[in-house]
Amino acid sequence: MGRYLVKRLLAAVPVLLGVIIVTFILTTIVPGDPARIMLGQRGSPETIAKIRAEMGLDDPLPIQIINFIKGALTLNLGYSYRNNMAVTDAILARLPATGMLAVAAIIVAVVMGMSLGIISATKQYSWIDYGSMLFALLGISAPTFFVGLLMIVVFILILGWIPGTGYGDGAFIYLILPALTLGVRPAALIARLTRSSMLEVIRQDYICTAKAKGLHNAKVIFKHALKNAMVPVVTIIGVEMASLLSGVVITEQIFSWPGLGRLSIEAVTNRDFPILRGTVLFMALIFMLTNILVDLSYALFDPRIRYE
Amino acid sequence: MRRSFVLLLAALLVCGLTASVLAAPKYGGIWRDALNANPPDLNPVHATDTTSAEVIYQIFESLVEIDNEGNIVPLLAESWTSNEDGTVFTFKLREGVRFHATTEGGKPTANGGREMTAEDVVWTFNHICDPAVNSERAYFVDMIKGYADYREGITDHLAGVKALDKYTVQFELSYPFAPFISILGYNSFMILPREDVEKWGHREFNFHPVGTGPFKFEEWVQDSKVVLSRNENYWMKDADGNQLPYLDGIEFRIIVDHNIEWTEFLAGNLYQVYVDDPYYEQAGGTKMTVNPETGLKTAVTNLGLFYERPQLGTYYYGMNVEKPPFNDKRVRQALNYAINREVLIDLVLNGRPSPAKGVLPPGMMAYNPDLAGYTYDPEKARQLMAEAGYGPNNPLEIDLYYNSSTLHERVAEAMQAQYAQIGVKLNLRVLDWGSLLDGVERGEYGMFRMGWVVDYPDPDNFLYVLLHSENIGPQGNYARFNNPRFDELTKLARLETDTAKRIQYYQEAERLVVEEAPWVFIYHYATFSMVAPFVRGYELPSFGQYANKFRAVWLDR
Repeated sequence: MGRYLVKRLLAAVPVLLGVIIVTFILTTIVPGDPARIMLGQRGSPETIAKIRAEMGLDDPLPIQIINFIKGALTLNLGYSYRNNMAVTDAILARLPATGMLAVAAIIVAVVMGMSLGIISATKQYSWIDYGSMLFALLGISAPTFFVGLLMIVVFILILGWIPGTGYGDGAFIYLILPALTLGVRPAALIARLTRSSMLEVIRQDYICTAKAKGLHNAKVIFKHALKNAMVPVVTIIGVEMASLLSGVVITEQIFSWPGLGRLSIEAVTNRDFPILRGTVLFMALIFMLTNILVDLSYALFDPRIRYE
Repeated sequence: MRRSFVLLLAALLVCGLTASVLAAPKYGGIWRDALNANPPDLNPVHATDTTSAEVIYQIFESLVEIDNEGNIVPLLAESWTSNEDGTVFTFKLREGVRFHATTEGGKPTANGGREMTAEDVVWTFNHICDPAVNSERAYFVDMIKGYADYREGITDHLAGVKALDKYTVQFELSYPFAPFISILGYNSFMILPREDVEKWGHREFNFHPVGTGPFKFEEWVQDSKVVLSRNENYWMKDADGNQLPYLDGIEFRIIVDHNIEWTEFLAGNLYQVYVDDPYYEQAGGTKMTVNPETGLKTAVTNLGLFYERPQLGTYYYGMNVEKPPFNDKRVRQALNYAINREVLIDLVLNGRPSPAKGVLPPGMMAYNPDLAGYTYDPEKARQLMAEAGYGPNNPLEIDLYYNSSTLHERVAEAMQAQYAQIGVKLNLRVLDWGSLLDGVERGEYGMFRMGWVVDYPDPDNFLYVLLHSENIGPQGNYARFNNPRFDELTKLARLETDTAKRIQYYQEAERLVVEEAPWVFIYHYATFSMVAPFVRGYELPSFGQYANKFRAVWLDR
């Protein structure tokens, strides 16, 4: 297990290097001069030249990449072109908001998705089953921005249950709508997958045996069936992390949520390359770590899986 | 009986209204507002955008300011004089103005709340022009004597700014420059406390701004909010001698989406809102009354007070006059004749802006109401196109580059339909702002969308900046217009101190531009804002909504 972890972490290094190089090349070939955008609609050539030099934009690309990697090793990702904030500070300032939102969305997705999936599987072809699968279908089909706007109109404007959008200094009530918006799509996917995977397991002989020896129904479902049905579900949770990271961009925009998604979008618009590289690198790192964790967690659910 | 009852009711109503208008301002309350982006820079020396300016106007003050009608009026300077040829300006500073004593939750500032004096003005302008600071807008004041020497490191200070005594400061210019006073009202030239700038460094000062303005900086949660509090030592008083500001503070929330901003306004979480097109009617935009003197339109609904007025700005499609087919004047003129501006404005823009006949917007000095401009004349357009060699057998196809936004898209689609009427095919090419700017500046695009809203209220900021051949490229002349007579006129107007003569120069220059048509002149901007029903003392500046100041605003509830 330890060796496997080390191997996986080492394998992540070339991937991260690749991410850095690709991001650098993309930011170099994209039209739009960061020094110019910073200056507003017009600027004097003297000032532009000075800013470009200050930003290190005049250095050749390989030098820029090497300087960036050197910096990254000491957690110095440079400074924002736009407001001169250290990139690590800018990311750390947004991390709590995005972290909170992502965790809440995963909780929504897992709790809502698995409950619906289990209920549907155990009550197959009942109205509960049809109802939850209809919900799952809507959840998968509805785009995030639509769900978000709908929630705002219903819960803020019409019902008035939630005071408004925004971070609200981290108050729980402000988290509810963005978490639901972000969590509803993965919840729908998890519900469908849990249902089908449970249905498969329920028909296995060992479930029959468990029932035959007189075990309580709940114990059969949660101890024997669910544990075996979990492997594909855990995989989808891992995969959904990626779409969650992209969903966060839209959700944060709609709910004026001060997170990493908005930071990266603004960095693209303003050609704030240090911020852009920093957030891309950070998100790649998070994505890879999540995948490693998901792979490791398989062993928890299926003792046949061993990491040596 | 019934009549007297009606009279009584009317009298009560009048009394009530008068009472509410004349009621003494109430102190207290937090002004809740929205910014459409995380402000890039709260340090005036480095700020270049309107979002930052909206916050900067509350924390800082300049020597002069632009009032809501667009006039230059005293602020930190009480008065000023200039010599006859307009090369020496002497400012008398207001006494008793203090920098903020505390900031960020009551922490003492480095300046300790001391008085602002002439030395601070001298230091500030040296700081702005310091080559090491590399202020983005330093070149606005490159006419100050000694600017070039200081920038090139020949001298260690700006020779042209001197403190004559504690409250008198003198600016000497290398050459007469008429718009100098109005430039000093631009939001980069705020007077700064040296101790605080030096404590943080000019880059970090962005996160710890300290000035003399009515509000003090408290907190900036990135991408979430900027919080300001009342400056209890503010120097300004209202007409009755009451200390300003009335508000306890301001909270600017950072809300990127205008639809969400509108929803938050309806939910009562914001007191001012940008009225986007789908909400124009709901906001009362179709039932506005106009003040003929100021052009200010207002409407009162149960949602609040909606204000709208002409803004000093022009929306245009530039044409690169060096690139075919735009190197042919007839094509450029035809494209101007081919559009019906009034219909476009009514259909696409709720009739808010006014059609543009030329470069200068109404309300700007030298604006010429008698300028003929281009009227809608498709026949003439077709004829000019035919002369230029285009017609049904050889139709003209043009790429129009514009930056993505629903407004620009709507205008572009309307233009496309109108150009189709004269047989010109307009291909719409959408880019993001950075890419558009990049290509336009390098002269890569033949036709492109641009707009310009003034930095300082002087025709110089339009005609010289956007069309003088010295400014071809990133300095503002994107159409690469190059006309020796125009250059001469705009230069003469810069140096002339006699306003009547300047107006004459600018009007002649503008006639030349209209004749040569390097732009398709489309419309002059309107600025607008809606405030909640209980807001008092709010005024919409003609300079643009972003320039609003909240020092005299109060909440009646």
